[in-house]
Amino acid sequence: MSRYVLKRLGWLILTTIVVAIIIFTIMYFVPGDPGRLILGNTATEEEILAYDEALGLNDPFLIQLGRYLKETFLEFDLGTSYVFKVPVMQEFAERLPRTLILGLLCMVISAAIGIPLGVVCALKRNSLVDHGAMILAMAGVSVPQFWLALLMVILFSVNLGWLPPYGFGGIEYWIMPVIAGSVGGIAMNARQTRSAVLETIRADFVTTARAKGLSENKVIYKHMLPNAMIPIINLLGGTFAMAIGGTVVIESVFQFPGIGTYMLTGINQRDYPVVRSCILILAIFSTVAMLLVDLVYAYLDPRIKAQYVNASSKKLKKKEGESK
Amino acid sequence: MSKTKAKAPAEQAVKKESAMTGILKRLAKDKAAMFGLILLIVLILACICAPLLTPYEPTKMDSTAVFATPSFAHPLGCDRLGRDMLSRMLYGGRFSLGLGLLVSLIGMVLGIFFGAIFGYYGGKVDNISMRVMDIWQAIPSTLLAILISTALGSGFIQTVIALTVGGIPGSIRGTRAMVLKEREMDYLEAARAMNCSDFKIIFKHMVPNVLSPTIVGTTMHIGSTIMEAASLSYIGLGVQPPTPEWGAILADGKSYILSYPHLLVYPGIAIALTVLAFNLFGDGLRDALDPRLKD
Amino acid sequence: MSEFLTVKDLVVEYSSGGQHVQAVNGVSFTLGKGETLGLVGETGAGKTTIAKAILQILPDPPAKVLGGEILLEGKDVLKMPEKELLTIRGSKISMIFQDPMTALNPIMSVGSQITEVILLHNKISEKEAMERACGMLEMVGIPRTRYVEYPHQFSGGMKQRVVIAMALACEPELLLADEPTTALDVTIQAQVLEMMNDLREKLQTTMILITHDLGVVAETCNKVAIVYAGHIMESGTKEDIFLSPMHPYTHGLFGSIPKLDDKSKRLSPIPGLPPDPTNLPEGCPFAPRCPKATAACRQGVTPNVEVTPGHFVRCGELVQKEVD
Repeated sequence: MSRYVLKRLGWLILTTIVVAIIIFTIMYFVPGDPGRLILGNTATEEEILAYDEALGLNDPFLIQLGRYLKETFLEFDLGTSYVFKVPVMQEFAERLPRTLILGLLCMVISAAIGIPLGVVCALKRNSLVDHGAMILAMAGVSVPQFWLALLMVILFSVNLGWLPPYGFGGIEYWIMPVIAGSVGGIAMNARQTRSAVLETIRADFVTTARAKGLSENKVIYKHMLPNAMIPIINLLGGTFAMAIGGTVVIESVFQFPGIGTYMLTGINQRDYPVVRSCILILAIFSTVAMLLVDLVYAYLDPRIKAQYVNASSKKLKKKEGESK
Repeated sequence: MSKTKAKAPAEQAVKKESAMTGILKRLAKDKAAMFGLILLIVLILACICAPLLTPYEPTKMDSTAVFATPSFAHPLGCDRLGRDMLSRMLYGGRFSLGLGLLVSLIGMVLGIFFGAIFGYYGGKVDNISMRVMDIWQAIPSTLLAILISTALGSGFIQTVIALTVGGIPGSIRGTRAMVLKEREMDYLEAARAMNCSDFKIIFKHMVPNVLSPTIVGTTMHIGSTIMEAASLSYIGLGVQPPTPEWGAILADGKSYILSYPHLLVYPGIAIALTVLAFNLFGDGLRDALDPRLKD
Repeated sequence: MSEFLTVKDLVVEYSSGGQHVQAVNGVSFTLGKGETLGLVGETGAGKTTIAKAILQILPDPPAKVLGGEILLEGKDVLKMPEKELLTIRGSKISMIFQDPMTALNPIMSVGSQITEVILLHNKISEKEAMERACGMLEMVGIPRTRYVEYPHQFSGGMKQRVVIAMALACEPELLLADEPTTALDVTIQAQVLEMMNDLREKLQTTMILITHDLGVVAETCNKVAIVYAGHIMESGTKEDIFLSPMHPYTHGLFGSIPKLDDKSKRLSPIPGLPPDPTNLPEGCPFAPRCPKATAACRQGVTPNVEVTPGHFVRCGELVQKEVD
């Protein structure tokens, strides 16, 4: 198992580097000239050229890429914002925790409400509760998050005046972003959990468990749910990636000062280091989340676990054979 | 032997037809799915027939009707430039629905093609391609779409490309997983024993068998694509004003959230209804194809 | 009467989407202590449903027991409260399921699945229960070291042994074996059957063996009931059925088995297919396929005749003969 974890960690680092190269390459082809944008229309051609030269923007692509990778992965320097002249790292120190907390909160709430709801619906299928919850869930997956956020602003801020419409500060600034970012996840988790549990309700091993004389509760909690949860856990990584992607839009609606708003400002002002770093850092975090979920999954499902154990022991044997 | 050979296709046709009618019958019985379907037909027809339903051009400004409230002349009112909201919604639907359909269909075709090939051949090709997918999916699809939109600039085609690139790995993986399961089936052994070419086995035997879940997935994907396209427009990428895509209309009205909230309500309802329709229909289709999942 | 198990006029119905299917249609039989009954019939005849009804583990919905009695030592299982049923299931009555591939919980070690049932019905410590589970594994020929392994690490035959060990772990008085060997290779079939016979003799267990294999019945059972479309067509001792079969369907079943000493080149299979259970024919359900069916067979209730003591035949044509 530890071999497997190490292998996955190595793979994670490789993925991160490749992702960085992809991001850099795509951003390289973004039209528009930072020098012209930042210096404004009053600047002369020479001034702009000199500005770009100073940033190294006139060097060949490969040299720029090499410099970027060296700075990012060896010096842990994500560059300095062209516009604000502040190192990206410094800005991240403040903004990254906010976005991560927002994303994590959304994921945790989605799972904590959605999964039990799905279980209840499956166990009481075709009841009033089930129908009601599934109609709501259907609505929840169909409503765009940012629009829901806007409606909440209209209702709670404009009409009722309970919550601040945008900005950042105490807990009252978190309520609407978290709710808006969780609704879709709750609905999705509820729907998927319901079908996963329904699949196991018909499984033969559940009948076996009943035939043993286990009470219905024990059948549900010891046999049915653990099996049903395995595919759901596998989906949680995706939920986090979705929440991370979703925070960009949610942050924009509430002008929440996280990575998302930082990135959008960067895009509007052709602030390459900002955009590159924001996408890279969010990609890293969602990859790490996926990895964690995969490890939990492998730990919980003996079938998957065995695959890795067998695979690595097979390789080990092969290597031993080769060395002989 | 010759006798059974002659009989087989006819029997198969009968069986296929009855399976098909069974699916359609179950689908027709599903009230939610039928509601979704009717809603879809109405929405699509309304967008196609937009010129017949509204006398205004979606981009025609009318300085006398700026921020007009709903009235007989303008059933949904007008926006900040006096453009008729109803026309903007109907013409905007063409862009939103078009985006959703185009992106999902391209994704489905590419997904089936590559997913089937990777899944069928397995081995090295599959291994390498799956690692590529891993990296591809390391960037959450929304972020990838944002990145590509930034590079390509705004516009309809650019948005189609941005959203397609984000969605492809998912569709490839989906088809591949199903093909992997299908590969174990005996009928493939039979096909191979009959000396079928790989191409024939993949596209005449396997693909039809994995097609129905793929269609269900694509139906749902259309809805989520429309949502994603709208959020891209909203944050200032993707399709941009004055093009009346629903997300762009929302973005256009967001500055007036305090004074004219109706500018935000209509496009949101339009998106939600469309996505709902696709989801309801997709759900129904899935249950009809696999009735085991119901009750 | 010292009958151990009496089933009387059992009727079970499945309903789905407004359609009702009578899976079991007035089935009656009795079993003394230590006897073995073979329930023989084609797939879908309702054999498994009878067994599940005795254990009261029919999935409800869609299945429902509409009438009849199941008396276990004089007490009606159908009227027992759930609490009492829980103490009987797995200890007094246990069941071996048809498909060993799916009957075991994939994420629990096989040993703990056996321990679970032992702990449930015996007031002993977990350690003692584990020890007994190891003993059960050894009894079915699985080394105790494999206690911690998961179902996917076992072959089909080994899994079936685990299922059998689990069913016998609490020394049941009544064992319901649902096609225990169908999913296995022929060589393993023989081993498993022999093992079950040994164990049954050792524990003095009453058994209902569900199968479509007359050879297995000949080896194991002392009573036989032939089931067709939810009805028992003919029942009696093994000798009654094998030496003097009366019902045309029983004849048909024997005609479908190849015999070494038979000079004729062809088998004589029963023409046609079992009736569509949603749309049973009126009168005798076998009439449409019966070579001897008369107009009278196609209507009314088919009489159940006791031809010799204990040998029952449900056939109208036979009655006609006797009247003549």
